[in-house]
Amino acid sequence: MNAALRRSARATGELVGALRTGLPAMAGLVPLTAALALSLLLLPWLPSAVKPLRALANAERRRAGRVLGREIPEPYRPSSGEGLGEARRLLRSPSTWRDAAWMAAHGLTALMAAAVAVAVWPAIPFTLSLPLWWWAAPEGSQAAFITLDSWPKALTMPFLQGAFDLAILLWLVPRLLRWQARLAEVLLSPTRRTSLAERVEELTETRAEALEAHGAELRRIERDLHDGTQAQLVAAALRLGLADRRFDADPDAARTLFLEARNGVEEALTQLRTVIRGIYPPILSDRGLAGALRALAAAQPIPVELHVEEARAPAAVEAAAYFVVAEALTNIARHSGARHGWVALRREPARLTIIVRDDGKGGADPDRGSGLAGIRRRVAALDGTTRLDSPDGEGTTLQVELPCGS
Amino acid sequence: MRIVIAEDSVLLREGLAMLLDAGGHEVVAAAGSGPDVLPALLEHRPDAAVLDVRLPPGFRDEGLRAAIEARRRLPGLPVLVLSQYVEQTYAAELLAGGAGGVGYLLKDRVGRVDEFLDALDRVAAGGTALDPEVVSQLMTSRRDPLQELTPREREVLGLMAQGLDNATIAATLVITERSVSKHIGAVFAKLGLPPTDSGHRRVLAVLAYLNA
Repeated sequence: MNAALRRSARATGELVGALRTGLPAMAGLVPLTAALALSLLLLPWLPSAVKPLRALANAERRRAGRVLGREIPEPYRPSSGEGLGEARRLLRSPSTWRDAAWMAAHGLTALMAAAVAVAVWPAIPFTLSLPLWWWAAPEGSQAAFITLDSWPKALTMPFLQGAFDLAILLWLVPRLLRWQARLAEVLLSPTRRTSLAERVEELTETRAEALEAHGAELRRIERDLHDGTQAQLVAAALRLGLADRRFDADPDAARTLFLEARNGVEEALTQLRTVIRGIYPPILSDRGLAGALRALAAAQPIPVELHVEEARAPAAVEAAAYFVVAEALTNIARHSGARHGWVALRREPARLTIIVRDDGKGGADPDRGSGLAGIRRRVAALDGTTRLDSPDGEGTTLQVELPCGS
Repeated sequence: MRIVIAEDSVLLREGLAMLLDAGGHEVVAAAGSGPDVLPALLEHRPDAAVLDVRLPPGFRDEGLRAAIEARRRLPGLPVLVLSQYVEQTYAAELLAGGAGGVGYLLKDRVGRVDEFLDALDRVAAGGTALDPEVVSQLMTSRRDPLQELTPREREVLGLMAQGLDNATIAATLVITERSVSKHIGAVFAKLGLPPTDSGHRRVLAVLAYLNA
């Protein structure tokens, strides 16, 4: 009995606590529904209308998760942009609509549930004491919905009513709390369907980005080879041809042309090396990712500590990992003012995790540094994730996960 | 000089043989793949070996590994490694033994025939020949003891690392040979190299530079 009472008391407290999300949900019902509806017409404002809804839903996820003793994960994927594209994505995203449905349900029920739980406590002593003073009670006082107008009624009905109230307190109140939390869980956690939908959405986008990045890469390589190397070689061949024609008449001029041709070929070779390094660094195929990263670390102006697991991954993943570390280390050397750097590489069956850390001044901003934006694009193209943590004065940590699909 | 070469591209192999022949050397064996290199070297015991880093069957760093293994089996064997690209890690691995007689050059340098033959001579004589590109890679990276060197001393050390002698360094930097030896003395002192064993100090300085 005591335990049951305590449970009910706790549930009452929680139900009152649920008003923290319940009241805003109720208060927001009209304006937010209006805003959502209006946003459909004025699509660009949808992201700002969804923001408070998500904040509220997140608060409820935490609260309901605490009640249920299991976490309710967020179904949202990180915002990928602003404006119309993001608005269209939100509109198509099932979690937007499920959040709204939860808000309606919670806004309509939370206050009632809290009221029931709060009211039932004083109601019990009140009804049980009724037989002592029913005669003094105002005309028409009721217990168990029966008007008390005689002693027999006054001596029995309040106890019936008390038992009923107690049942509400002990049985219904804890259940109300559970139902409320379950409602939140059902509507707010990612379902298989929604997570699949979001995943497809995400993959469609990264695939488009990957194709875009790949196309840009091909165009860059073509341009480098065509305008640089190829042109150099043509010029060299031209000089050799001229030198051949002049050889008998003017050996000195021919010699000059030979030397110019050689210089041209050397220049072309240098450009070719740069292009090749950009496509797939040769050291990577020679020594694997671990060896290539060691070489990279050794070439840094500050000491870089390596924790690298020897394991092979698909070539595209290794190349991306190499470029991420190379770019990150270049950033560290150029901007961070760090005295030490750390690179860790962990190979799990399904993914490759790269962490690059420094003890520099922090404050790295992916929106300003083209290097970080490049890393993000490169990683996103492989459906990986990039996380940057760079508090002012506390160094920078870059964590990248690349799926390996094996 | 009797020379063994290892290069998988037939055109380049023939070209190298021609070039060495024109330079008055004798190519006693030419290997076309990684596993052939070591037996050829052990059989002919040449005065120098010219090896490509990438060789079949794996097209990775078979040539480099063969060179390191050959120098383990035949101490002091002068080895000149050619590569399509330069990597300071490779230079450090080649030089790790501490002895001279090592070269690591970009294949591009073959085009400058005289400079290439000079480099080969230096390596055969127990010196070093590091590609200027390796040296510039090293210059930009961290080498703590090198922090104390003046810019001019770093320049001199860079040229030493390429394997140049004092006269050439003096000509390159347009300074007198006397001041070159003064700078080199300062470099030795700052890198903590004792004045004994003077023949090797140049190599040791380069090593300090690679491994610091």
